[in-house]
Amino acid sequence: MPLISLRNVTKSFPPGRRGDPVVHAIDNVSLDIEAGEIFGIIGYSGAGKSTLVRLINALEKATSGEIVVDGHQVTNVPDRQLRTLRLDIGMIFQQFNLFNAKTVWNNVAYPLRVAGRTRDEIQARVTELLDFVGLADKASNYPEQLSGGQKQRVGIARALATSPKILLADEATSALDPETTHEVLRLLRRVNEELGITIVVITHEMDVIQTLATKVAVMDGGRIVEQGEVFDVFSNPREASSRRFVSTVVRGIPSPDELSVLRERHTGRIVTFSFRDGDSSQASVFLELAAAGVEFELVYGGINDIRGRAFGHLTLALTGQDAVITSTLQTMAGRIAVKELA
Amino acid sequence: MEDLIPLTPQLWEATYETLYIVGLSLLFGGLGGLLLGIGLYTTRSGSILGNRAVFGTLNVIVNIFRPIPFIIFLAAAQPLARAVTGTGIGNSAIIFTLSLAATFGISRIVEQNLLTVQPGVIEAARSVGAGRLRIILTILIPEALGPLILGYTFIFVALVDMSAVAGSVGGGGLGNFAIQYGYRQFNPVVTWAAVIVIVLLVQAVQLLGNVLARRVLRR
Repeated sequence: MPLISLRNVTKSFPPGRRGDPVVHAIDNVSLDIEAGEIFGIIGYSGAGKSTLVRLINALEKATSGEIVVDGHQVTNVPDRQLRTLRLDIGMIFQQFNLFNAKTVWNNVAYPLRVAGRTRDEIQARVTELLDFVGLADKASNYPEQLSGGQKQRVGIARALATSPKILLADEATSALDPETTHEVLRLLRRVNEELGITIVVITHEMDVIQTLATKVAVMDGGRIVEQGEVFDVFSNPREASSRRFVSTVVRGIPSPDELSVLRERHTGRIVTFSFRDGDSSQASVFLELAAAGVEFELVYGGINDIRGRAFGHLTLALTGQDAVITSTLQTMAGRIAVKELA
Repeated sequence: MEDLIPLTPQLWEATYETLYIVGLSLLFGGLGGLLLGIGLYTTRSGSILGNRAVFGTLNVIVNIFRPIPFIIFLAAAQPLARAVTGTGIGNSAIIFTLSLAATFGISRIVEQNLLTVQPGVIEAARSVGAGRLRIILTILIPEALGPLILGYTFIFVALVDMSAVAGSVGGGGLGNFAIQYGYRQFNPVVTWAAVIVIVLLVQAVQLLGNVLARRVLRR
């Protein structure tokens, strides 16, 4: 049974002014997230991903549909029960949302006080958490004395305080510079691997999905347009909006503009070969072209690695006898994705 | 100047009365305003107790009573003061009416200062399972404490101003002293003596407020 399960979930907001249409922030979404996964949800701002993640810990209430978290109904439950549920779900935020009037120590201790832990338990747990995020020496500092990366690490420690099963990360790295982003992503990876916590990552940065997530769902206009293993979505995106996101990190098939530039610089036929691990290797393609007497030049593309699995698109300019090129491409077509660019 | 010296005991008595009237009004009005302000903040739509009807009602009540000039409010609320304190005149009636007027004024200041707390911070507290009362007491008020202290300092000064009309219903204080012994006796030196004491009082309290707020805000 999945740890988090959404069935036909819809969330509408009443119109801001009379006469405006009702806003469907989430439109009939179904989603399963298994325990132990790092599940990425990507979309442009306004796609509904922040609302979606808030439905999981009931900060927002679904208009219709069913949400089950760890075997418990989240929809139509009294507030008191939701508060117990929230002890099992940590959350971190883009703007960190630390309590500015409290020290780092008291920020991390707060959820434990809410949960009614004893003084000794709190003492031990906060010490352990600050060690885990590497901020033991900042315990008595206030949030404004910390850098962005440190603030988010406090946020992570606070979210983990009550040992939740799930961590929701809402654009957790979007306010950070690239280096700090990677430091926080590494920490989140440790949270998943060492503590076994399931993480739901909301982002508009494909880079975050690529380095962190195991599965991904692409959101557009309140719907999930595509979901699957990160490797599958990256190596073979099906929907237009998925392709746009993938193209931000993967140099794949040249766009029409790029193609016309390539045509100016190169003679011959321009062909894209798409490799996925398990397909025939690049070496065999190059050997076959060479054996047939076809000259080739690499003009566009790149190879990507996702968790040890490689894929990529290489675009070659081929020169030689037309008939020979055509027949060579035909023999390869059964084993590898070949696309000639007109 | 020689007219002032025999009045020195009355000046100190008036100073004490002003502090007494303003201090108690700040206490009662401060508490009332804090509760009403929290009520306004939390019932606003989208807030933790969002309720359009309750917010609308509170909002209208505050808007009706807040702009009434205090000397008129004092006369209009006299029957109410008599019902509650047993007397319509003197310092007790003044303290009651001043507390009531301050409640409405302070509620807006409290509401505005609470609105400066980032909604995300409240959301973070909700996400760890904190209940509403706990959020108000342990997050909302501490997060807004610096500006709240400055707001209450501002109100202290306003109360000193308002308390000056106490004499019109038989109350005492520096305002009454200045009018009774200065203005009506054609003795500007006495009037100015009261003014100087008020200025010193306000300066001292403003300084205290600034120091406290700075300590809370750590800057």
